[in-house]
Amino acid sequence: MDFQVIGKVLPRKDGIAKVCGQETYPSDVVVPHMLYGVTLRSPYPHAEILRVDTSAAEAMGAVCVTPDDVPEVIYNERTVSIPEKTYCDRRVLPRRARHVGEAIVAVAAETEEIAFKAMQAIKVEYKVLPPVLDLERAMAPGAPALYEEIYLGDQKIAVENNVACERIITVGDPEGAFARADYIVEREYELPRVYHHQMETKTAVCRPEPNGGITVWATTQTIHNVRQLLGRIFSLPLSKVNVKKLAIGGSFGSSIQMNSIIPICVALALKAKRPVKMATSREDDVYDHTKFPARIRLKVGVKKDGTIVAADMRALVDIGAHQINSYPLLGCMAGWYASLYKWGDFRYEGRAVYTNKVPACAMQGYGNPQVNFAVESHMDLIATECGFDPVKFRLKNYVGVGDEFWGQGPTVKSIIKSCGVEEMLQKGAEMIGWGQRRPPREKTGRYRRGIGMARGFHTSGTGGPKPGEVIDYSSATIKINEDGTVDVMTPVMDLGGGTGEAAVKVAAEVLKVPYERVELSRVDTKTTGYDVCTHATRGVYCGCGAVYHVAQQVKQKLFEYAGRILEENPGDLELAYAAEKGVTIIHAKGFKQKQITIGEVARLAQIYSWGTIAATDSLRQKNCPPCFVAHFVEVEVDTWTGIVRVPRAILLSDSGTPINPDMVAGQLIGSLSRGLGYALYEETEYDLESGKLKCNGFITDNKIPTVCEMPRLADIQVYFAHTYEPTGPFGAKGIGEAALNSVASALNNAIYNAIGIRFYRTPITPERVLAALEGGDRDGN
Amino acid sequence: MERQWVKLKVNGKERQLFIKPNELLLNVLRDELGLMGAKYGCGLGECAACTVLVNGQPMLACLILAVTMEGQEITTVEGMGDYDRLHPLQQSFLDHGAVQCGFCTPGMLLTAQALLAENPDPSEEEIRDYLRGNLCRCTGYAAIVRAVKEVKHPA
Amino acid sequence: MATDTRVLAAEFQYLEAHSLDEALAWLGQYGTRARVLAGGTDLLVKMKTGQVQPEYIIYIKKVAGLDYIQADEAGLRIGATTTLRKLEGCAAVKTGYSALYEAVRSMAATAIRNMGTIGGNLGNASPAADTAPPLLVYGATLKLASQAGTRLVPVEEFFLGPGKTCLAPEELLTEISLPPQGSESGSSFLKLGRVAADIAKINVAVSLQRSGRNCTACRIAFGSVAPTPIRVPEAEALLAGQEITEDLIETAAQAGAAAIKPISDNRSTREYRLKVSRVMLAEALRAAWQRAGGVL
Ligand SMILES: Cc1cc2nc3c(=O)[nH]c(=O)nc-3n(C[C@H](O)[C@H](O)[C@H](O)COP(=O)(O)OP(=O)(O)OC[C@H]3O[C@@H](n4cnc5c(N)ncnc54)[C@H](O)[C@@H]3O)c2cc1C
Ligand code: FES
Ligand code: FES
Repeated sequence: MDFQVIGKVLPRKDGIAKVCGQETYPSDVVVPHMLYGVTLRSPYPHAEILRVDTSAAEAMGAVCVTPDDVPEVIYNERTVSIPEKTYCDRRVLPRRARHVGEAIVAVAAETEEIAFKAMQAIKVEYKVLPPVLDLERAMAPGAPALYEEIYLGDQKIAVENNVACERIITVGDPEGAFARADYIVEREYELPRVYHHQMETKTAVCRPEPNGGITVWATTQTIHNVRQLLGRIFSLPLSKVNVKKLAIGGSFGSSIQMNSIIPICVALALKAKRPVKMATSREDDVYDHTKFPARIRLKVGVKKDGTIVAADMRALVDIGAHQINSYPLLGCMAGWYASLYKWGDFRYEGRAVYTNKVPACAMQGYGNPQVNFAVESHMDLIATECGFDPVKFRLKNYVGVGDEFWGQGPTVKSIIKSCGVEEMLQKGAEMIGWGQRRPPREKTGRYRRGIGMARGFHTSGTGGPKPGEVIDYSSATIKINEDGTVDVMTPVMDLGGGTGEAAVKVAAEVLKVPYERVELSRVDTKTTGYDVCTHATRGVYCGCGAVYHVAQQVKQKLFEYAGRILEENPGDLELAYAAEKGVTIIHAKGFKQKQITIGEVARLAQIYSWGTIAATDSLRQKNCPPCFVAHFVEVEVDTWTGIVRVPRAILLSDSGTPINPDMVAGQLIGSLSRGLGYALYEETEYDLESGKLKCNGFITDNKIPTVCEMPRLADIQVYFAHTYEPTGPFGAKGIGEAALNSVASALNNAIYNAIGIRFYRTPITPERVLAALEGGDRDGN
Repeated sequence: MERQWVKLKVNGKERQLFIKPNELLLNVLRDELGLMGAKYGCGLGECAACTVLVNGQPMLACLILAVTMEGQEITTVEGMGDYDRLHPLQQSFLDHGAVQCGFCTPGMLLTAQALLAENPDPSEEEIRDYLRGNLCRCTGYAAIVRAVKEVKHPA
Repeated sequence: MATDTRVLAAEFQYLEAHSLDEALAWLGQYGTRARVLAGGTDLLVKMKTGQVQPEYIIYIKKVAGLDYIQADEAGLRIGATTTLRKLEGCAAVKTGYSALYEAVRSMAATAIRNMGTIGGNLGNASPAADTAPPLLVYGATLKLASQAGTRLVPVEEFFLGPGKTCLAPEELLTEISLPPQGSESGSSFLKLGRVAADIAKINVAVSLQRSGRNCTACRIAFGSVAPTPIRVPEAEALLAGQEITEDLIETAAQAGAAAIKPISDNRSTREYRLKVSRVMLAEALRAAWQRAGGVL
């Protein structure tokens, strides 16, 4: 299809500000007369707060907020599910600390240094309680309970055996189907806790307003959910709560919920009656959130001809001290599993368990990389054990066009309309030289190379034909200025992936206006309609879907006014970009001479006092089409040191029309490095005596890949499948999270191909590789 | 703790600061001088988001006492170029999609600038080695390396 | 948390020394209550994480005459405040002292190496300090100065434990001197970290002298496998005076690995360190032997 700006590589709208150091991130916000806040955090994994003595801190001039000073409201930081499906277990500051690093008391003072010293002067009397730090032990009878009761919506419910929530789904008759299978393969996979490591630590700034309201600048992926939750917690009318949209220094899911420090900062500001800024230290941030870990048992039944007939997945998730979004997570994990392959008759059982650890939240993929690691390692394992070719085995069983897609779990179902899986698997195989792949037993010597592949997908948003458990819609406002330039107002957060450009491009394309003449407005919750969140890879498909929808309305308005001027029926008009003059014109269909520029229309509309040409509306997408990916990678294992290198990686994606091709490539390559970290390096380990993180919150002992761990430029190849999503803006789907989902799985499969050892847990560190090699273990630990 | 006067040059301008010895260069630049380009990422030397040039050499402002900078010349990303007169590296970062969230960008740019000053035509290997302390969680580095490699030198 | 790495909350008196006498006078006066500050890449980290809390900080990077590298027939003399980056850029280091060059190149990354000094790396006395194994195998001598005068200490006697050295509270390390390396000598350094910019899981340095097919003298040192960087005489003795063969290298590497007593920590495990020390030592020996002109 021939587009004017869609699919073209154009400079980011925020690019110049970012390369000049002029972009404002939350941590850069300065408000006159502001105080600086810090928090006192629990040194114990489980302890009741008996008494807090803030007198010494107050003597230093600090303002303190204790658990007794915050509203009694119990909430879930993540408000994406409908209220009846939202599990609530936390207050702004708890009366019982449930993990090391949980904020208990907050302090604000004139400088950060004084605030920190005042915090150190606070005395807290704890009653130390026995902690549970292990998943299995947490569920055992007699284990200490984190909660006696929590809320599901408004309803009080009891918590048993520390099980936070669960989901069990059965389709057909798996027992019977397993009985018919020729092979049954079963294994357990373990994916650890991993820190998001977004480069900017979380920040909140709150200014109390003279009208009793608040203005908030905060690290978030969702300004509207933050606003609504703050309104509820502090009993403020929403008209008096304004949350500003800012740049964000990376997120990867870590700010999908309202960050824990935001309401704390608000409480401080309201008490101090002055603006307060809380910028967390890295160590506070590491103790604030983590990726959901998972222990996944998977059993699959296959026929001799390679047809899968039955499957059973049991997932246990150690969610830590609070539910951030564990109930929808369990549903999504079911969806990620159910929609990868046609399992025939299958079962899923997901259980989220409380422990006295840092609360887990979404991280790029929301359970999908975890499920993918299990399923895609398992597919490879089955192929090896049953003698199938791994690529053909996948092609035989994958869920594709015309199949039912579960996207975001059992309540969000739709039919797949575009799918590049076959193209990607064939292309990837060709590019990596799949045909020349040798089995592990033929490899000898110190350095052994292996080739592996895996595939995955993610949804583009959480839309569907009918409302489900998850809220999903987005809004936009578009305005034609009096000189024909365009302002786009979208509440959708750009996490760095280029959602902002995409919105501009979609508006520019619909209105046939040059990219340079469309700008994004600085907006907030007061000036925009609702958008649920930049999550679930929905920025382009849903957020820009709303922009597309509103731009069409603006276009109609333009036709109406132009019709009055040209004395034509609006329905007989057409938009075109006159490249030679660099202007956008409206002309009569089939008669270009009868024309007027849109700038002229806007100018005349003002002169004639017809009004501004603008529209505001919301849109819910009726689908959440899967964006597919595939990874073909080569690894080199040093069998003497256990070090795994990645000499080559081929990244394939099907995101429909790539609106920002360079940004799609950027997502794929960025995800390669994060996937590399997930597969080989990262885990936030606990000391099981003290309940503290072994790294103490310092990234000194929490390494992520540097530039040197990446393959060389020429050895990273990106390929886009040729698909068009009929329901997406200009044929687009998402990419963001999909890009990560099968990276670690592909690496694991490549490692198997190199050394004949399959790993069932990550990270696959040199220590583990060497131990497995020396143990002669065919199944790594 | 007693404050003392410190004289230094920041982005070509003489500055006089009245500061306490325990103040970090990073916080002085940001809070006293309003130069927000250098970022806090870890405070422990591990991420290089706080990189500034001291006499042309990349250093980490989170581990520098500002008082020790008496008489030194400091360059932050704000001193590299203006929006209407971008430094070739800034332009190259834009051209090659090397910016996503942009939080690592100032540190990357300044480190790359020092590299090019030492070695105007570095190989990919040399770029990787020089930038290995600058963490980026978004881009996977490839676009950054390409931007440095293919920078268009001013004629 | 108990720390806040966004700020340096500790309070101290700042003393900026411009001459050695000034620095030594302050050190003499304040002793254990003071800490010397050079590049700060260790000291500021330790202060921010609450590991040390000096009342006085004596900044020595502005002391005249402590930042130099002098190479002549007597060997190499390095002033204590010489930065790692400067060492790396020095031709005499690169050509004559390969192990030291490789060690410095392996450290952290550009910015830290611009700040950090060799004196600081030794003064910090980390078991993983990368310059320590090379200095051990070159038989370096450290010059320690105080108001009472100077004394020379072999680097081997300098480290006493993690963070502990034989420096008296009033003493400053001023110079590191390395003996000249003959034409038939070779040295090498190897390190494993978790990622490219990291403190060592384990590091090793080798220096040896060759005469024909024989190795006349050999020194081997490991880091990050004991409370201090250590020599492994058990392995050295197997090589000295012997004809060098692949087999002998393997035997020596095994002996070296058998002599270390590593622990498990955040960076690696005891088992791993024991296993890879052998591989690394063998490789380091081969490289040093070849650099000395030896063939295998
Ligand atoms: C991110 C990061 C990565 C690092 N990577 C490595 C690595 O890969 N390998 C490695 O070995 N180290 C590494 N380090 C540690 C550190 O950078 C080096 O040890 C460096 O050489 C220290 O020098 P400095 O001048 O900064 O020391 P400072 O911090 O100034 O001083 C360190 C200690 O030595 C004392 N001291 C300094 N100079 C003298 C002197 N002349 N006489 C007596 N005492 C003195 C100080 O009082 C202090 O106790 C790393 C540090 C960081 C923050
Ligand atoms: S903030 Fe200075 S290195 Fe991370
Ligand atoms: S662009 Fe986000 S950290 Fe580099």
